[in-house]
Amino acid sequence: MSVDVAVETPQVAGRRTTRRPASSGRSGTPVRGLLLIVAALVVWQLAGSADSAYFPVPSEWAKAVQPLFANHVLVPALGATALSFFLGLGLATVIGGVLGTLVGSSRRVDRALSPTLEFMRAMPASALVPVLALILGYTLQMKLAVVVIPTTWPILLACRSARRGMSPLMLEVPRTLGLSRGASIRKVLIPAMLPAVLLGVRVAGPLALIVTLLVEIVTRINGLGSLLAAAQVAYLSAQVYGLLVIAGALGLAVNWAVTRAEGAVARRMSGGA
Amino acid sequence: MAERLLHRVNPLGIATFVGFLLLWELGVRSGAVGSTYLPPPSRVLVGLKEISASGELWTNLQHTLVSALTGWVGAAVVGVALGMALGLFRPLWTYSMASIEVVRALPIVAFVPVAVLLLGFTSKMEIAIAFIAALWPIVLNTFAGVRAIGPRTVEVGRVLRLSRRDQIWKLRLPAATSHIIVGLRLGLTLALVLTLVSEMVGNPAGLGFALIQKGQALQPEQMFAYLVVVGACGIALNAVLLTAARLAFPGQMAAAGDDA
Amino acid sequence: MTQVDAPTEARGLECRDLQITLVGAHGPVDILKGVDLSVRAGEFVSILGTSGAGKTTLLRVLAGLQKAAGGTAEFAGKPIQGPPPGVVTVFQDYSHSLLPWRTVRRNVALGIEGKVSTAQRDSQVDEALAMVGLGGSANEYPYRLSGGMQQRVQIARALAMKPSVLLMDEPFGALDAMTKQSLQDQLQQVQALTGMTVVFVTHDVEEAVYLSDRVLVLTGRPAKFGHLIDVRLERPRNQISTKEQPEYLALRHRVYEALGLGDGEHG
Repeated sequence: MSVDVAVETPQVAGRRTTRRPASSGRSGTPVRGLLLIVAALVVWQLAGSADSAYFPVPSEWAKAVQPLFANHVLVPALGATALSFFLGLGLATVIGGVLGTLVGSSRRVDRALSPTLEFMRAMPASALVPVLALILGYTLQMKLAVVVIPTTWPILLACRSARRGMSPLMLEVPRTLGLSRGASIRKVLIPAMLPAVLLGVRVAGPLALIVTLLVEIVTRINGLGSLLAAAQVAYLSAQVYGLLVIAGALGLAVNWAVTRAEGAVARRMSGGA
Repeated sequence: MAERLLHRVNPLGIATFVGFLLLWELGVRSGAVGSTYLPPPSRVLVGLKEISASGELWTNLQHTLVSALTGWVGAAVVGVALGMALGLFRPLWTYSMASIEVVRALPIVAFVPVAVLLLGFTSKMEIAIAFIAALWPIVLNTFAGVRAIGPRTVEVGRVLRLSRRDQIWKLRLPAATSHIIVGLRLGLTLALVLTLVSEMVGNPAGLGFALIQKGQALQPEQMFAYLVVVGACGIALNAVLLTAARLAFPGQMAAAGDDA
Repeated sequence: MTQVDAPTEARGLECRDLQITLVGAHGPVDILKGVDLSVRAGEFVSILGTSGAGKTTLLRVLAGLQKAAGGTAEFAGKPIQGPPPGVVTVFQDYSHSLLPWRTVRRNVALGIEGKVSTAQRDSQVDEALAMVGLGGSANEYPYRLSGGMQQRVQIARALAMKPSVLLMDEPFGALDAMTKQSLQDQLQQVQALTGMTVVFVTHDVEEAVYLSDRVLVLTGRPAKFGHLIDVRLERPRNQISTKEQPEYLALRHRVYEALGLGDGEHG
């Protein structure tokens, strides 16, 4: 199959980024396709009204978000979201990478841990929120825990299958060359696992953003999500749409960043092929 | 034969799992693991019995499943059609794919407040969220599936002089089936999960709301029981879908290999 | 080259001054130029050439899958514009040519279902399967069959359509020697039974001489038919006795030389 669906998304409030065949990759999608969304917005602008209760026109959105910016609320919220995102993704990468490699390195360990891991994977992030909120309180640690747990899976799975597929010779060669265990891990294992880690990050990145927003929306802990929820409760529809656009921009930024990162490493690893 | 059965059942794995549960149980009882709000498995079972006996488990379960599945079915119909159209009609793809990718990049969870704003605290809102959540994986996987047909297979259609309609119906669609099923499975998972979110934030009903409620009422045993139910739900739905797919399309699924 | 006397029904494949140009990394390249070809009905013709010589491309033009840049290609007097009726192609990569989600029986039926009645379809499928000796595997899925068997399924699928011309693109190239020989003999039998025309592309000299009535050798860059060698060996041919005949060995030698691979001795 030309579409690689081997990295299956864990059961979380996430979006699956499918890997499409190279011929239809992001670089190949015609920009003309944006016409649709531009046209939709234009139609909305022209056909709608500024003070519609549910569907205020796009020009109102920026105006509605402006006060949040002026009151120094928006930027700190974005910062909080960004902090959770980066911290959570970083932790998940390390944990997922290490665990995945460990699990993948031994058939026995893999078999032993499989049911447990599958069971834990089955817990969606959204369901974890109230549970962890009860145990850890409405704290930053709780937010981080909720983000890290589901985000770990794509990375863990990718590393696990990469490690499983690795030729056993690869780790033997450096040892025969007299490298210490630590050095052979540093110089051979980690670089060899890097593409898999990035493949996992490719899926985990957008996921981390989603879960961050999820926690913020449900628990109202500070962040872009809590602003969204607050605007919704106050029936400030223009503000809701405006914040949605910002969330979308963040999503696009994350997507773009992880794609670039994956591409850069892939080029390096395959010698530019 | 016995070996294969042993392999599938994975006694080592199950034993490890049970081992962890025991550790958890002992850890909480002995006071080593500290939280009042982390109940041991035995008490979670008690909680499970309680919510089941009182009937609230079934009411909530039904509510959530109905919303999630309704939205998912809608997404399946629209998504497969849209994915196929995108894959088969190049001009459609050219003039809409980029827009779809932009909308797809919007974190789905951010739509929940919008849905609550527009549709209020209703089941309709939940269904709408489930629909949107499931739509993207279905569209994208269907699209990929329609495009995944090998060039040789296309040529076979031509040298055997199959009609255009037959080329789509007999070649492209079956080749796409396994991809479509993957999309449907992912969509189902997302529909379920996002329905939970919409129940936590919007509609006070269903499993999502129950989780929040038990948390706020400081009833960890029942909360954990609900958590287990949610997890089991996801696994069960997925397994049912996969089995149904294998029964309905034995050839395509076998060809695609083990889809899990 | 002059087939004007032959009646229309017996006219087979014809090319005149065919030119095929492909666009490569450095611009358009003429793969074939000035190619003349004439295949009579019922003939078994091999197109032989080294890898990359353009023989597959030529076959694809005959199959209607590719357009020529210049010259004409005709079947039964009509220009080839897309897969002609009565002409079926068998590809080398059998695993990609069969539909993995269909059983053998349904794979063989692919070309005729909907075009003939159900009863007719079933009998043609059974006949085709019997001709390649796969009657017992009708309900298996392709992935359960060996390479040789899968290729036979593809051939059966072509036979079920009762073609007048069978185009084969290195059909046995991916198979081991013993399977290859077995399939060669089966192909011979089928052709003797049905009397259809076969155009067989290969780079295997022995195979070409063993199977054909004529061997057409493509040489040069751009390629054209440098040598047209008649193979007047008795039929039915045998893998052991035919290949020991001096006539066979001499033909084999001539073909090697035509390819430019000879030892240069027999001038």
